[in-house]
Amino acid sequence: MAGEVPIPAKYILVPLFKIMTTALINFVSKFLSLSWLTGPIFDKELRVSSRRRRNYVLRFTYLVLLTTFLVFVWLEEVRYLGSAVYRISRMARAGQTITFFIVWFQFCATQLIAIIMLSTSISDEIDNCTLGLLMTTPINSFQIVMGKLFSKLLQIILLLAISLPLLAIVRIFGGVPWDYIISSLCITLAALIFVSSLSMFFSIYFRKAYVVIIVTILSLGLLFALLPFLCFMMFKDMMSDDDKLISIIFQANPYGIMMFNTMVMDNPRNLGTIFFSWPLHCAIMLVSSGVLLLVSIIKVRKVALCQATGQLDRFFRKKPTNGAIESRPNTSAIRPVGKLAFLWKELRSPLFGRSKTTAILVISIPLILLLLTYVLIANENVLDDQDVQASYLAILGCIGMLFAIVLPATCITSEKESRCWPLILTTTLSDWQILLGKIIGSLRRCAPAWFLMFGHLIVFTLIGFIHPIALIHIPVLVAWIIVFFLGTGVYFSSRFKHTTTAVIMNFTFAAVIWGLVPLLMLLYAAMTRTSDNYVERYMNINPLFQGAVVLDGTCGRRRALRSVTKLRYHWARGNENALESTGFLLSSMLGYMLIGSLFAWRAKCRFRRNIF
Amino acid sequence: MIETKRLTKHYGNLTALVDLDLVIEAGDIFGFIGPNGAGKTTTMRILVTLLEPSSGQAFIDGLDITKKGKEVRRMVGYMPDFMGIYDDLKVFEYLEFFAAAFSIEHKKRKSIVEGVLELTDLQSKGSFTVDSLSRGMQQRLGLARVLIHDPKVLVLDEPASGLDPRARIEIRELLRELKRMGKTIMISSHILSELEEICDHIGIIEQGRLVFSGTMEEIRQRMGVQSKVRVQVANNQQRAIELLSALPEVQDVQSTGRYIAVTLDKDQNTDGIIARVLVNGDIDIVSLEPQQVKLDEAFLQLTKGIVH
Repeated sequence: MAGEVPIPAKYILVPLFKIMTTALINFVSKFLSLSWLTGPIFDKELRVSSRRRRNYVLRFTYLVLLTTFLVFVWLEEVRYLGSAVYRISRMARAGQTITFFIVWFQFCATQLIAIIMLSTSISDEIDNCTLGLLMTTPINSFQIVMGKLFSKLLQIILLLAISLPLLAIVRIFGGVPWDYIISSLCITLAALIFVSSLSMFFSIYFRKAYVVIIVTILSLGLLFALLPFLCFMMFKDMMSDDDKLISIIFQANPYGIMMFNTMVMDNPRNLGTIFFSWPLHCAIMLVSSGVLLLVSIIKVRKVALCQATGQLDRFFRKKPTNGAIESRPNTSAIRPVGKLAFLWKELRSPLFGRSKTTAILVISIPLILLLLTYVLIANENVLDDQDVQASYLAILGCIGMLFAIVLPATCITSEKESRCWPLILTTTLSDWQILLGKIIGSLRRCAPAWFLMFGHLIVFTLIGFIHPIALIHIPVLVAWIIVFFLGTGVYFSSRFKHTTTAVIMNFTFAAVIWGLVPLLMLLYAAMTRTSDNYVERYMNINPLFQGAVVLDGTCGRRRALRSVTKLRYHWARGNENALESTGFLLSSMLGYMLIGSLFAWRAKCRFRRNIF
Repeated sequence: MIETKRLTKHYGNLTALVDLDLVIEAGDIFGFIGPNGAGKTTTMRILVTLLEPSSGQAFIDGLDITKKGKEVRRMVGYMPDFMGIYDDLKVFEYLEFFAAAFSIEHKKRKSIVEGVLELTDLQSKGSFTVDSLSRGMQQRLGLARVLIHDPKVLVLDEPASGLDPRARIEIRELLRELKRMGKTIMISSHILSELEEICDHIGIIEQGRLVFSGTMEEIRQRMGVQSKVRVQVANNQQRAIELLSALPEVQDVQSTGRYIAVTLDKDQNTDGIIARVLVNGDIDIVSLEPQQVKLDEAFLQLTKGIVH
């Protein structure tokens, strides 16, 4: 209009500028604070974890183990170096060894910790019914997943940071370039993120932490050991250059890349023509983690919505539970309870899951993979090789041992978690009856894991690739392993409230008596400069060592054809024949079985403590 | 049937029970009430041999629970405040399993299980898996499990919690039926009105101490509660209030809308006095209802609401 006075531009632009600046600052500060990424979940997780004593214990234990191992490596390095001048001249080599050790320790330990830490990340929220609750707030599934992941990663990265000063000190010795330390840290971090994502992914599907831990470890074995092996065997004929094939296969394998990185650091000519690029590997691992996280975000949203709407069972494809209207009866027959009630219940539970499809998959997949490896190795004409047979038995034995450690440790805690334990204890069943039922039930559940190994052992003994004496030695070894872990497993299961704690304790117990104790013995011997003969003797009762000696003595066509008297077993105390070795194996079996029985008895004594 | 003498239980520094003396006669339904954390569940767990007392003694049918654990367990059926579920068992198998756990002969099990299923109205659910039942059905199954070995004593920890009104009424009827069968029942609940209806005796516990034990009538006497009457008159309510206020037996008169609430001294023949005064004053009475002291009122007066 004609009479209007125009408003000066500064009265519009200045406030507008102020508003825009404030908005921009707010946006940038919000972006930098990463709250858009993790929401309040990250803060909550950190707050909760800071109150948990176990996190401080974990840091302390990590540091103690790292330092103990380091002192041991250091003492071993400087032990035979002679004069001070010569010792100083060899410091670079010692520094290199120590760096290798720290890097590998971090690489393995942090992955194991990540698997355990994230094994309950989503399942806990589902069990506590808080996942559905979170869906009623503005928090989205992206923030839930990222919040959980980053809060745990932060704690593990703290563990990595703890060892950085050590690495810096070791660099003073020389011989370790920075790029090795940086590349190793990057490979470790990338592997850590992938393993964490995998564990978190499985924690959506499995409610029990120990199941998540086992499934994650088996998946890693499948992805980074079995599949690369199968790929290599299948494609090696197609490519003339083996190194090129290895370069391709191992580019996405953190264990392989870490190994190559260490080999190159030790001597650049070690790898020959094998090519690897750690930045490329890290990128592959991060993309893979991203895909896993994306699937996790989608699944978390789905399960959270199911929980919020009371349809959680639909996600897990179960029949409706509490509060739902019963649909129809289960048509399978009602099985009459046998004379021994508890034994009946233990033996009644399905061995391979409730559905037939699951059972078929659980049985057929490992069998198919195993048969495939037989075919590929037979194609190379090395199936009768000693190392091949020993490797098969060792791998299958380790799988059996994994189950022998895990399953007994779940037998009572699972009753406690399902809140049936007090009901059992108010019946007239005696503690011995309960113990017997639990032991036989655990034995039955462990059995399938050993079928593969015994199947392999029997078949290849009949074919003539393994000496028949192994049919005595290996069952003796397996028998005590089972009985021993049954005892300790039932004990820890009665001792603790949660299955995961019991399983971890059973693992830790094994790691302490067969790993940490001999290491401390060696450390003592190195520090006092005394003989370490007793450590070697102690190693003789280590099941892995016993297994290795037996497999070394009996596997392969050449050994299978020898008479029993000509077989030699390389024990730490010296070579022994088959008869002496049988005697030793039987005596250690008796010892371990006695210890296992003592643990089982102690478990029985604890049945009526820590009931709730 | 149930007796405790100076029963005490410590959890570390926390004292859950302090010198609890309790007597429950055979065939009684004993309602055990108290705030959360008062020690009800601890007492029950001790009685069913799941916990050992720190000191004191407890007896079931004369048997010391710490010395004759197995015999006591044979005699007692315990239903905790949670439902323990084996999710891979069917209802019939679940009950048969517990029947076998109580050493019931193989031949008798089937008929016993069928019997308790009928008693708890679960006959049609025998082939359902336990975890497919609704909450109410699971509570009934819990009761069926408790009855499987025909115990003399039932210890039921909040059996009606989380149930809908119909299921609560059904559980109540079932408990009455069990009383008729001669069972001694110890029951805890937060739904006091229900306990009031079915219990012969009430025990009120707070901070691990028994603050009261007796019948409802004894509660009223102990509290010294006045009789209350609710009166509705057809006309002239103000005049009625004046007349009633003038009575020496009346402590207080208040108008509550259409009604007049009259509080009299204890043990007065309320109906007679009030009716006579109002009729003499030419006031038509529509209704005259003596008011009972409710258990929740008694509970509020006897407890301080303090928890550990």
